[in-house]
Amino acid sequence: MKNKSNEVWIGDAQIANDPAYLSESNQEFHSLTVVQQLEDPSQVDLNSNRRDFLKYLGFGLGAATVAASCEIPVRKAIPYVIKPDAIVPGIATYYASSFAQGGDYCSILVKTREGRPIKIEGNSLSSVSKGGTSARAQASVLSLYDTSRIASAFRVKNGQIEKPASRNKKGPGWEVIDAEIMAALNATSQIRIVSPTIQSPTTKKAIADFTIAFPNTRVVTYDAISASALIQANEACFGEAVVPNYQFQNAEVIVSFEADFLGTWVSPIEFATQYVKNRRIEDLKNPKMSKHIQVESHMSLTGSNADNRIMVKPSEQGAAILSLYNALAALAGLPSQNGPSLAAEKAKKFKTLATTLFNAKGKSLVVSGSNNVGEQTLVNAINYLLRNYGSTIDFANASLQRQGIDKSVNDLISEMKSGKVDALFFMDGANPAWDIPRAEEFATLSKKVKLKVSFSTVPNETAAICDYVTPTHHFLESWGDAQPKKGHYSLIQPTISPLFDTRQTEVSLLTWAKSAAIDAASEQPALDYLMKHWETSVFPTQSRFAIFRAFWDNCLHDGIYEAPLALTSVPSFNGDVQKAASQVRKPVQNALEISFFETVNMGGGQYANNPWLSELADPVSRTSWGNYLAVPVKWEGGNKISSLNNINPREIYGEADIVDLEVNGTKQAVTAVRQFGQLEDTVGLAIGYGRTVTGYMGKALGNNVGTNVYPWLSVDAQGNTQYYATKAKVSDPVDKEDLFACVQYHHAMGVTGKDPKSGETLNVDEKTSMTIGSGYQGGIVDRSIIYKGNLDELSELVHHVEEKRAEAAELNSKTLYPINEFVDNVYSQGHWWAMHIDLNACIGCGACSVACMAENNVPVVGKREVGRHHEMSWLRIDRYFFGEYENPNTVYQPMMCQHCDNAPCENVCPVAATPHSSEGLNQMTYNRCIGTRYCANNCPYKVRRFNWLDYTKADMFAINEPTISNESLPFGADNLTRMVLNPDVTVRSRGVIEKCSFCVQRLQEGKLTAKKEGRALQDNDVRTACQTACPTGAIVFGDRNNKSGDLSKKLDNPLNYIVLEEIGVRSSVNYTAKVINRSENLDA
Amino acid sequence: MSAPISAIREPLITGSKTYHTITEDICGPTERTPTTAWVIAFIVAVTGLSLYLFSVTWTIWVGIGSWNLNRTINWGWDITNFVWWVGIGHAGTLISAILLLFRQKWRTGVNRAAEAMTIFAVMCAGQFPLIHMGRLWLGFFIFPYPNTRGPLWVNFNSPLLWDVFAISTYFTVSLLFWYTGLVPDFATVRDRAKGLRRKIYSFISFGWTGSAKHWQRWESLSLVLAGLATPLVLSVHTIVSFDFATSVIPGWHTTIFPPYFVAGAIFSGFAMVQTLMIMTRKVLKLEDYITLEHIDSMNKVILATGSIVGVAYLTELFIAWYSGYIYEQFAFYNRVMGPYFWSYIGMMGCNVISPQIFWSKKMRRSILVTFFMSIFINIGMWFERFVIIASTLARDYLPSSWSYYSPSWVEVCLFIGTLGLFSTLYLVFMRVAPVVAVAEIKGILKTGGDQYVGPNIKHDNAHKESTHH
Repeated sequence: MKNKSNEVWIGDAQIANDPAYLSESNQEFHSLTVVQQLEDPSQVDLNSNRRDFLKYLGFGLGAATVAASCEIPVRKAIPYVIKPDAIVPGIATYYASSFAQGGDYCSILVKTREGRPIKIEGNSLSSVSKGGTSARAQASVLSLYDTSRIASAFRVKNGQIEKPASRNKKGPGWEVIDAEIMAALNATSQIRIVSPTIQSPTTKKAIADFTIAFPNTRVVTYDAISASALIQANEACFGEAVVPNYQFQNAEVIVSFEADFLGTWVSPIEFATQYVKNRRIEDLKNPKMSKHIQVESHMSLTGSNADNRIMVKPSEQGAAILSLYNALAALAGLPSQNGPSLAAEKAKKFKTLATTLFNAKGKSLVVSGSNNVGEQTLVNAINYLLRNYGSTIDFANASLQRQGIDKSVNDLISEMKSGKVDALFFMDGANPAWDIPRAEEFATLSKKVKLKVSFSTVPNETAAICDYVTPTHHFLESWGDAQPKKGHYSLIQPTISPLFDTRQTEVSLLTWAKSAAIDAASEQPALDYLMKHWETSVFPTQSRFAIFRAFWDNCLHDGIYEAPLALTSVPSFNGDVQKAASQVRKPVQNALEISFFETVNMGGGQYANNPWLSELADPVSRTSWGNYLAVPVKWEGGNKISSLNNINPREIYGEADIVDLEVNGTKQAVTAVRQFGQLEDTVGLAIGYGRTVTGYMGKALGNNVGTNVYPWLSVDAQGNTQYYATKAKVSDPVDKEDLFACVQYHHAMGVTGKDPKSGETLNVDEKTSMTIGSGYQGGIVDRSIIYKGNLDELSELVHHVEEKRAEAAELNSKTLYPINEFVDNVYSQGHWWAMHIDLNACIGCGACSVACMAENNVPVVGKREVGRHHEMSWLRIDRYFFGEYENPNTVYQPMMCQHCDNAPCENVCPVAATPHSSEGLNQMTYNRCIGTRYCANNCPYKVRRFNWLDYTKADMFAINEPTISNESLPFGADNLTRMVLNPDVTVRSRGVIEKCSFCVQRLQEGKLTAKKEGRALQDNDVRTACQTACPTGAIVFGDRNNKSGDLSKKLDNPLNYIVLEEIGVRSSVNYTAKVINRSENLDA
Repeated sequence: MSAPISAIREPLITGSKTYHTITEDICGPTERTPTTAWVIAFIVAVTGLSLYLFSVTWTIWVGIGSWNLNRTINWGWDITNFVWWVGIGHAGTLISAILLLFRQKWRTGVNRAAEAMTIFAVMCAGQFPLIHMGRLWLGFFIFPYPNTRGPLWVNFNSPLLWDVFAISTYFTVSLLFWYTGLVPDFATVRDRAKGLRRKIYSFISFGWTGSAKHWQRWESLSLVLAGLATPLVLSVHTIVSFDFATSVIPGWHTTIFPPYFVAGAIFSGFAMVQTLMIMTRKVLKLEDYITLEHIDSMNKVILATGSIVGVAYLTELFIAWYSGYIYEQFAFYNRVMGPYFWSYIGMMGCNVISPQIFWSKKMRRSILVTFFMSIFINIGMWFERFVIIASTLARDYLPSSWSYYSPSWVEVCLFIGTLGLFSTLYLVFMRVAPVVAVAEIKGILKTGGDQYVGPNIKHDNAHKESTHH
């Protein structure tokens, strides 16, 4: 026997290496069967005794008690009996579809998880939206789960939808309602279908089929924010009643008269992608950049991106356009036209502008958002004169995104007045009882119409005046199509079964028409109808596919079908310039003017019940949950309109004034916000707010948010709605706003002004620094947050960035910690995530912010909480002004967690709830967080967000769930709303910190995909939500260790910098300095 | 021992006390029915305490969202109050420990009450780091206890964790020191008590008999604890200052903070001692034990520490300018001129300018002036912490996130509530324990009492020297 003194043994058999023992001990399982063991009396004593009985009884009772007293959450998960082929739990499925709401269009991919649409992504196959999205498109998935959606067809009585009293009772149902509607119609009925722009050829076909049965049907198309003058002018000038196809990428000089083409005008996603092509600085040796001049009074999103803004009052727009025309005409040797004129100083600017434009003949573009036919005609004449047709504008691929003619709705009102209308159908999105200047009149006259039916998915002001609501599907439940431009077709496919007992508009119409075109008995009549239409009208336009089915499958997969581009031809101009010059707006002297503008989030008001959009801060004013009267900021001298001087002096304390605004004799109280870039003697107020019916009582978050401006709009001689008013009156402050929901006050980044005494240009921040109580509110010019420069001083800017970065590197080298060694040993080994943001490409549209909310289950907190600076946005877009005080330039800076490799938040957390990953991610462990908030204090970028209250309705106490507008169930508490949550992202409870994770769930998914496919990870595998949402590609995410990736290419730009680099936190987000192409000769 | 008493020194105990009268004077308040003044004060204090309990419940129930803190200013009144209360605690330890080591005999008149104040102030301070947590019920995560989560340890890099250790050590040592001193005095009370009171005091005096061995061990323990407490006086507020100094926020990231915080703490602590002593001596008629000499001495400390604090303020401003670092410059510019300029004025006015009147001996010895000054200084020191915390956070690096903050009613009630908590504890202390260290003050009667320098008094039965104490 060997000496095994160092070993542990359990018996002599083991020491002796007894073979019997060894064989038994090597067996994993006992050699005897259970029955044998039970039979062996030495193995178990089955004779139970009293003690055992009591033991088991006690244990059993105890266990049962413990188990019974535990609160077991009720989980409402219903497993599939038969698993659908397309659904793998935990794996997202994407379907191509289209977001087409009225005139808004975006080709999208819908991300579904377990059969639920939860996120919208851009579809890069579309040549219109090119993979970009807008905030509205991103937020549209939330409206699918709107708790106010109308569940079935109902009658409407006294402005209330007659819903059944209880859940168990049913409403009348479709058959009854159908029968009632059909009984009210006859072959001679004068039917008017009121609709916003219909982009869908199939819907138009359905209406045509309906018209066969009811020949007196006419479609009244209008857009709440219309381009009707543009369409009319094009018809008059070129015989084309459309919005043309603009090509901003071909323009070296862009002049926009009040057209917010990057934010709201016609097709902003498309225009933004085009626009940004000429705004990036990639070749520093030979920098090329377009020049963009905006002519407006209120700073629009587009205006804020412009190089120069020429500020003219709304009533002077016509005179401004005419001045430009005359100046160009002079250059071209054409006769000048008589009409209203500008003050000499401003006219001089347009002369300079004309020279600039003239020099860029054929490579320029002039657009106008005006709704005045004369002005649009003059703009057409200007573009024609500049030979832009065929290069930057064409009609071959004309846009169909705005088709509304304002006159048609005015004609409808006249018809209603004379009692000629028998039936009114309101398509989803049409809301003439609220969103036209004559809304009140419309609502009153509607009483004369016998039958009124609304197809709206949610209650609105117009549904309230109807007799029936026959709700259509949400677009994510629908079959449909869209034709945003000639030759561009786009399919809409359902991504979920209809949540409610709704029916598509086309089916409803054809059912009432008893049309043979639709097979009501079919399982999916809308699909059949759509396919039939595509087979007959779209399929023949192509030659790639011989069989329709193959064509259809391909289109459905891609989401789009683009017919070969039609050749552009230069149209001939037949406009009457002289007449146009007489039609333009007449300037009004010495009066306060107000412009009404559309915001990126609210549109004409159709998005009012979408809390994601309501919460999204306006890019320019940075306010949310309402429209605020933009008042000019005067530095020295004060405003001519003296009541403007005393408004909002304490804005930096979060205090805003409420003033009475009087337009056309009616007064409303509005909250003011001071706005840089607002022309003296003018104010601005957003359209689309102040909805009164956006949903059911107690569920409508959009009710009475802000002020309704539609009654203040006027109609001009051509019947077009005018989005401005003269002779407005603003009172002195009458009250204080308790809920001033502004996420960023008007701090500027080094604006300059003229010293009133010496006349020298000096820094406003320094000037105001001696104001006790406010310090210098401008921040400091030297802060390494924004680097910016003018194109003609690009080398200085490069040098400045270089110098500052060298300075920072020098400071950061003075460290006790071997951080570089750590970088070499840890981060260089695997992935090292980083981001690049091009400030020249960021236009501030907010699509990324909403995408982030959708992707990461970021809660909506409501106006009160935003006002207390409790907004939860993980990604915000900071806006800074710079340059001349009265007329500054703007820079937008998307700001999210910078994932610092030497993160100040990490070392201060007492419980290590925020550690760093080996891939350079700053991680947040919600379970570990106890909420000391030191991390948030110590974050130099202030991107950490704390759950002050139970915003996600996940807490045990019910008292701390803040309601947004006294709704019966807090937003997000409803199971329907919760369907939008991303199951990959934890819903955070009260009391924990959260922040941007670089979409870590997407990183994991991308890493897994690459691993499963057995290949190295590509930058394309991991794209953050903000990156995919961005229409301009301003955000690029990737692995900086991957030298061939997308990101690495971006990191070489000498204009790149890191925000606050000198404090040594080693942020992972690189920004490219902002370059503008401002011309001083347009300032003066 | 009848050592010669320096002629220039004033007696530490006046009123021709004997050992027995000391016992009578000091133990009396624990034995008599409470005075009306005490009852009224107690009602007010308990009202404050209930307000405190209510606002704590509200905070935990509703969430930190019931406060007005925001995404930029994540600490406000909560941490201001925390630092303020911790600072107040410092004077007690300084008086009992450091002055003991330096053999400053005048300390015996005030050390008991000052130590009690320390303990109660630290208790109040300790409330805030707890209730300011988003998830208080998981607060035990901050203790490095063995666990099955890995095990997952705390983050030893975090100054908040150092705080946990510093404050808990400080509290423990202070409590032990205080109680050690109380044991012989409790025995005195016990010997005079009857019935249940006697039993209770018998229990809490640990069977003290007053034997020489007891005294010897007591003396040794006091010295050891004094030795332990002395570095704590310096370390606690140093570590509290690290809560700010280790950050990257300009205005917080300052190496001057440790000494500046300690000086400020002693400054505010003495002010609070003054506030309490002036009231206590009046209510309990202890003017003979807490004399003008005491008040004068403490005012000198206040003047000295106040000047240190003043120099620190000016140094900060100078360094901000001298550093050439724009963020630092802006941070201090903003303190003076920014939206919270009024708190800076309050701080400067109360802490630096007003204590200068103590250069005058007449002022130092004026009870009224001292009382108002002590309140001023407490307000000023509260402002100092508010300036450091709120005004710094309100304007940090990114102007986009700048914000403004004013407290909600809950936060105000919490502060008032801790005053209630503190007063309740102090008032109970006044009733149950001798507020002046009987044993220690008797020890200095011969060297510091006025009957040994004043005219002889007539002996009668009432003033018969008692050997029993």
